Amino acid sequence: MDSKEVKKWYYVLPIISILMFIVLWIFLSIPADSMIPSPKETWLRFADICVHPISQAILIVHIWSSLRRVLIAFAFAIFLGVLLGVGLGWSKTFYSIFDPVFELLRPIPPIAWIPLIILWCGIGELPKIIIVFIGSFVSIVLNTYAGIKDIDPLIINAGKVLGANKRQLLFEVALPATIPAILAGIRTALSSGWMCVVAAEMIAARQGVGFLIVQGQQSGDTALIVACMLVIGVVSMLMSTFLSKMEGVLCPWKFGKTK
Amino acid sequence: MEVRKNKIMVENLCKTYHTNSGDHEVLKDISFNVEENEFLVLLGPGRCGKTVLLNILAELEEQDSGKIIFDGGRPEMGNIGLVFQKYALFPWKTVMGNVEMSPKLKGVDKATRQANAQEYIDLVGLHGFEKHLPKQLSGGMKQRVGIARAYATEADIMLMDEPFGALDAQTRYSMEDAIINIWEKNKRTIVFVTNNVEEAIYLGDRIILLSSRPATIKKEYKVDLPRPRSYTDRAFLELRNEIVANTDLDV
Amino acid sequence: MNKTKKQGKTKYLILSILGLTVFFGIWQAAVKLGWVSERSLKAPTDIIQTFIYKLTNKSPDGATLPTHFWFSLRLALSSFAIATIIGVPLGWFMGFYKKLDMLLNPIFEIVRPIPPIAWIPIVILTLGIGFQAKMFIIFVAAFVPNVINSYLGIRMTDMTLVNVAKTYGATDWEIFTTVCIPSSLNMVFTGIRLSLNASWTTLVAAEMLASTKGLGYMIQMGRTIIRPDIIIVGMFSIGITGALLNIILNLFEKKVAPWRYRD
Repeated sequence: MDSKEVKKWYYVLPIISILMFIVLWIFLSIPADSMIPSPKETWLRFADICVHPISQAILIVHIWSSLRRVLIAFAFAIFLGVLLGVGLGWSKTFYSIFDPVFELLRPIPPIAWIPLIILWCGIGELPKIIIVFIGSFVSIVLNTYAGIKDIDPLIINAGKVLGANKRQLLFEVALPATIPAILAGIRTALSSGWMCVVAAEMIAARQGVGFLIVQGQQSGDTALIVACMLVIGVVSMLMSTFLSKMEGVLCPWKFGKTK
Repeated sequence: MEVRKNKIMVENLCKTYHTNSGDHEVLKDISFNVEENEFLVLLGPGRCGKTVLLNILAELEEQDSGKIIFDGGRPEMGNIGLVFQKYALFPWKTVMGNVEMSPKLKGVDKATRQANAQEYIDLVGLHGFEKHLPKQLSGGMKQRVGIARAYATEADIMLMDEPFGALDAQTRYSMEDAIINIWEKNKRTIVFVTNNVEEAIYLGDRIILLSSRPATIKKEYKVDLPRPRSYTDRAFLELRNEIVANTDLDV
Repeated sequence: MNKTKKQGKTKYLILSILGLTVFFGIWQAAVKLGWVSERSLKAPTDIIQTFIYKLTNKSPDGATLPTHFWFSLRLALSSFAIATIIGVPLGWFMGFYKKLDMLLNPIFEIVRPIPPIAWIPIVILTLGIGFQAKMFIIFVAAFVPNVINSYLGIRMTDMTLVNVAKTYGATDWEIFTTVCIPSSLNMVFTGIRLSLNASWTTLVAAEMLASTKGLGYMIQMGRTIIRPDIIIVGMFSIGITGALLNIILNLFEKKVAPWRYRD
């Protein structure tokens, strides 16, 4: 009885929900002095930037320049972050030397690096990549470190009695056991990295979704702003979905579907 | 009666842990021998230090004092088999991957080690499950992988730390039969730790009864019952009552 | 054995001090020996001087460091408090009442992936660059983790506990208040922690893009007038405040939720 009733609502309520959202949105956009664009205006603006370039680039090109910055920064952040995280978790000596410096810099939000990085590197591609790198590096290091520390000591013992030497213990036992934690770090890093690229582009860029949104602000083009917000959200969602797929492929023993 | 040579001689083993809440004596003056190809059971109440004793035998921990003498010298790491109560399988490796781990670490080439691993997988009755991940297996099957993995080290000494302690009763009975079966087909020296009296009598050639913390040796029992044994056999029950009367209550 | 442990500790302490010394040493040397220009970086000793100077002086960015600090802290904490007071109960209700969940979740899913920073332009255009505008942006950032974690906390309630309560004849409301909410607290605290961090990070962004005061504004000004020492003083003030907020939250948690810290 109960579950049947719930099932009925299951189809109706989400539709009501979306309708509510749209009605509220329209309602906010109706007053003559309202700065909020209507859903229709937003949609038309979105369709427009898909084909008509802003600052010599159509929407997809802007998305790609943001994505490229994230991907390049990510490649470095994953490589160096895992390296540092494993070092901190695996060797007490390494930890003693580097952890205080890391702890000193860690609480500084990545966005707070933007002014200094721009001062150092100007406003080309490099500063944005560095900012995204800082934004994603920290969570990869922290998760890798926690992952190494969280390894079940039994697994390490199993490796030892099976005859693993120190190097094998690290590469054959500890590292594979840490992959789920590293993937969790990458997930956090992805949302933080995406936020950083938007922030960096909003402060200084000539291309990218963050640039588009500021462009909208400067020309009072609110439809462009809202369209961009939604685009940024959708890209973020797609990346997260892609990552879930990757988790299933890279780490079937943890995320695989089989019971 | 045949005289078998001693495989391991443990002499006056002591171990104390120093923690913030004071010193905890775990092992006190433990001495015993393990004969070649013998099925020796160490029986003791829960948390009495049996695991510590096995860890010391496996070189995972060090004793404070006392000696362990192995026939033919101390085996190197990777030349003693250890089966864990909580399986300790590598979750990212398949059954085959787990079983072939030891020879792989030692640098045996792929074809040889997989052929060997296959033999042990068949021996423990997991033929057809080679490509399964541990999480796809039941508890009993996981422990079969654990046993196969220990056997695949090709070590002649197998240490088993309450290997069936986490299994339900039914599975436990069938695993007890399985381990005897495996051992009879492929004889190794087994040191088997348990807190279960029936299991000890069902499996062991000899039982060493340990006291509660700190673990000391209370008594040694020779089990001369023919295999396969029966839980309801008269001699079985008599021995059981004798051992139970002698066992420290586990609080 | 205890002795060797102690020796180990001393060794690691020395290594830690060494690590920090080398870090600051290279930094100091890099500036003082002219490896990097003073227009890009100032030496640690100069940074300390600037810090002391900024404690009481308004130039060159318009306000003293304590003024900036107080402005930022007030903004972040008030938004954070509102987001927690609204977000946590909302998450609880969404977790317990299936229909409310189905009604609100789709909206939540649309809004959630948008980074709070992307709200800044539209908020500036509609609400200006005042205190309220920034409060709204930080609220959005702090709200989301509070709702999600409280929601998950309720959803992860052990069904056995719920069934026990049912057999004792508890009403839905009693189950909600006596079983679900207490068992969700662990997740709620995780949410609050994430929320606090998100508010502090977003604060910096909001102040950099739309403010005339605050630590975020200070570092942005530091860039405009090319004063790396001002930027770095600001960065460390932001970092240390963030760390302190976390420590205070820890102490608070130990008082309110001691089970999180018991072994």
